[in-house]
Amino acid sequence: MAFKKKGKKDGKYSKSKSSSYSGLSLFQKPGVKFFKSCPLSVKDAPVVDYKNIRLLKKYMSETGRILPSRITSVSQKKQRELSNAIKRARILALLQ
Amino acid sequence: MNCYEHTLIAKGDLSEVDMKKLFDKYSDVINKNSGKVVKTEEWGLRPLSYIIKNHKKGFYFHLKLEGTGKTIEELEKTEIIDKSLLRFLTVKVKKHNLEINYFEKKDL
Repeated sequence: MAFKKKGKKDGKYSKSKSSSYSGLSLFQKPGVKFFKSCPLSVKDAPVVDYKNIRLLKKYMSETGRILPSRITSVSQKKQRELSNAIKRARILALLQ
Repeated sequence: MNCYEHTLIAKGDLSEVDMKKLFDKYSDVINKNSGKVVKTEEWGLRPLSYIIKNHKKGFYFHLKLEGTGKTIEELEKTEIIDKSLLRFLTVKVKKHNLEINYFEKKDL
């Protein structure tokens, strides 16, 4: 996820200092981003289209289900465009 | 005039001569009904991701056209009867994107 894991490079004391919950802790530093921003709303982001199968496959599970936006962190508007595009590609038997 | 994108899937076991006849037939239907074909793309023989009418492969055609609602109505009316087709899809778009072809074959 978004938070940085502290590697073992920090030295001897890094193990005791950083637990696996460090990113989720209440004492998180202010100004550190925890959530990812939408990857499709950035400048120069790829256009969501039913012909662009390579893009659509990134937002589907291996069994062919549409992944929820809480996992992929896609915005609500783009998620709607994605699900419409995937359903069109399914009609044309391009996707499962 | 509206912009449409139209995709056809023909049965995979047709000969190449039949494919061209089929393709010309539908572009004629569009031209007769006050429509105009802007660009054509051949995606070629592709495996279907699920079986349609006992067919595992289909031949894909993609048309970008301009026309009215009646053009599409007449086009789909003739396609429903056609037995050499597996499926078709029409999508209305605001503007044609003529640059990108996602199914272009790259020479190795």
